[in-house]
Amino acid sequence: MEQEEAARTERKVKKAAQMLFFRRHNLPGVKGWELKKALGDDFMEIIEVLNSIIHKLGLEVRRLREDEAKEAKPENDRFVVVLKEQMTDKASGLRIDELAMLSAALAYIISKQGKAPRKSVEDFLADKFPRRRVTSAIERYIRQGYLKEDEKSLFIGWRTRVEVDSKTLMDLILSS
Amino acid sequence: MMPHTHTHTHTKEPDDLLRLIQFCKTVQSADIDPFELDVKSSLSILKAYIKRWKSIDDLLLDGEAISELTKVIELQCKWIRDRAASFYIDPALIELKLRLMEPVQLASVLLKAWHPIVSLDSLTTERLKQSIEYWNALLPLCERRSALEAEPIPEAGVLGLNDLLSLRILSQTEFKEELASVENELKMRGKTEYYDFVYDTDNFEDSVRKAYLTSYLVSEGRAELDIEPLEEKIFITHGQREGVANRSVPLALSYEDWLKWNRKKRQEQNAK
Repeated sequence: MEQEEAARTERKVKKAAQMLFFRRHNLPGVKGWELKKALGDDFMEIIEVLNSIIHKLGLEVRRLREDEAKEAKPENDRFVVVLKEQMTDKASGLRIDELAMLSAALAYIISKQGKAPRKSVEDFLADKFPRRRVTSAIERYIRQGYLKEDEKSLFIGWRTRVEVDSKTLMDLILSS
Repeated sequence: MMPHTHTHTHTKEPDDLLRLIQFCKTVQSADIDPFELDVKSSLSILKAYIKRWKSIDDLLLDGEAISELTKVIELQCKWIRDRAASFYIDPALIELKLRLMEPVQLASVLLKAWHPIVSLDSLTTERLKQSIEYWNALLPLCERRSALEAEPIPEAGVLGLNDLLSLRILSQTEFKEELASVENELKMRGKTEYYDFVYDTDNFEDSVRKAYLTSYLVSEGRAELDIEPLEEKIFITHGQREGVANRSVPLALSYEDWLKWNRKKRQEQNAK
């Protein structure tokens, strides 16, 4: 009986790993309700087991609340696997100038309490990079989820909230 | 903003209360620092008036002032929360630091604070099979183009309920019964994915009919569509939230999608 239970858990953990590591939609990550549908009501326990396994590899499952208006329950949240520790080498296709623009844009917006007019961000980045490249970089960051935009302003996007340790970023900039 | 000492009547409303309400509204709409309003002294103005209130209008005015004050207090809470969450630092200082940093330094600090999402793309046998089926079913571009050019594109139009009744596709009684049946089904199922709801039928004609009835329920405010842009999914629920702006959402149905949906459902049932 115990063996059956262990085999069942192992199967579910493998399934959870596949769902979380491999992209299923346009955006990375899986919604809680998808995990529940695939793994059953005890999906949070399965995620915990997976978490304990991937911790050893320097990875972790992170849960993100996407919509503050919705009830706070795991089904409504997005689950992603992130690198737990600091990156030791290149882990992205972004070029150094693209990373620099992203870093400056994020720090600039964070310092303005998470919201800044798009034009002011563009003007700020255009001090060091050609405006055409600044515009296309901002568009890309919006598409990737690092920034969010309404009619006039830019905000910190969901992906920045998951991936970037804002406090560390600001501390490093201040101490540079 | 001290209260006036005049005797309050129903026709004359105290100016300082009106000013207070107006100021609260300005704070909410004009991006003014919410701490510009002294909540404590505003409350003492209200307190000074409280024994003089007699009519319903007085109480409504008092209620409005309290409500507007509450909204300002909420903004003050948000202001504190935002600053605490963003480790408030003078933006001018950050701007100066950023201007002085080289692009390489900027990239380097981001890398130190970055915990990227692990996300891989991989082909599966099932996906390859689907793509081959798609490729095989796809006509050469020249044939598709000539077919597209040959067929005159019919002008898009909308069939209303009256059109369906006049075409005898529906009768008034039948329509009401069917509408009630779809509404009951929606009520029973709770929040569900739109296509799971409309494609769950024995034939495609029924799905089209169900989609039409569903759109009628949505237009009537008896059901609500909830679009999740991140997941690219559309959910439907019975009832409607208040204060949600109305907008039109075009939703496509196709026989191929209906077939796929039912095939998948059968596979899931067999697997169980």
